Amino acid sequence: MVFIAILIGCILGAIVGINVPTISYSYSSYLAIAIVAALDSVFGGITGVLKREFDFKIFISGFFCNSILSILLTYLGNKLDVDIYLAAIVVFVGRMFLNLTIIRKYYIDKWSKKYQEYKDRRKTTEKQNL
Amino acid sequence: MNKKLELVILGIMGFILVIAVSIQIKTVNYNGTTVNSNQAESDLKSQVLRMKEKYENQYAELEKIEKELEKAREQATSNNTELTELENKIKQDNILLGNTDVKGSGITVTLTDGKGDDSVLDVENLLVHAENVLAIVNEMKNAGAEAISINGQRLVNTTAISCDGNVIVVNGEKISSPIEIKAIGLPELLSTLDRPGGTLEYFLSLGKAVDVKKYSNIDIPKYTGVTSFKYAKTVE
Repeated sequence: MVFIAILIGCILGAIVGINVPTISYSYSSYLAIAIVAALDSVFGGITGVLKREFDFKIFISGFFCNSILSILLTYLGNKLDVDIYLAAIVVFVGRMFLNLTIIRKYYIDKWSKKYQEYKDRRKTTEKQNL
Repeated sequence: MNKKLELVILGIMGFILVIAVSIQIKTVNYNGTTVNSNQAESDLKSQVLRMKEKYENQYAELEKIEKELEKAREQATSNNTELTELENKIKQDNILLGNTDVKGSGITVTLTDGKGDDSVLDVENLLVHAENVLAIVNEMKNAGAEAISINGQRLVNTTAISCDGNVIVVNGEKISSPIEIKAIGLPELLSTLDRPGGTLEYFLSLGKAVDVKKYSNIDIPKYTGVTSFKYAKTVE
């Protein structure tokens, strides 16, 4: 169910996104940082599900607040002539990689366990056949 | 929070994320800016290199075919004195046009951007400009040079020597310091370039680095471009 909901949202988003006019180039850096922040929240959410500590309220608040805050910080950085967006990208992408590592480890563990079980089962059946 | 609302919110989040990503991609594409200028640069570089390689391959083939043509012509004309004369005339004309490699006694003049020191008033004076090259070529022609090349570019009757920002363009090819001008002719006459009060001494006084060498045998390559006459017609 969850995947279907996300998939429907993504397809609708793609259809609308293709037909929406482009934005001014000067705003595209804000949009880019918002996208990175949102992606970070998504990976954080997946990690949370795998760790069984997923909280839906934290997830949505992180998704929207991180995006808006990163846009505001980028705006502030522009006003102060400091590249704050670089710091935001470093933090978000760094966290994304950490989360990806956790996800990868989880699935590798899961699959290697399954493989081990499969091997054990084959051994026992062979013994029984003998 | 019930299950349905969660699903709707998840869907909306996916919706927003994908809209944002597609708008961003469209904007970046529309503005024609690349995220990584280094990558674009190296792309262009490899394209240039590929074109150059292609050109060189084609040129090698052309040269091979030209040699075959020459052989065929020699064979065809070997038994006929009239044709042999014509053949010699063609060879002579090719030398004049710059279509053949030539060798003979001559000099090379190497112009290099001067290093200068604190006493230099105008850095422009240290650099080798197109006009400087032109001046030397003029003097060489005046001294009876029969064939001239600048950094491997043969001077022919369509050659232009012009300034293009920080490089000099000869025959449409960019060259830069050090600039080696080779000339075939009587070396003693050609080397009067470095006479006291001459052009080269003037260049030296400006701070450019100048080097003149006489040779009993130097090679000058042929013109590698295409000469086409579209408008000029012979007067009957």
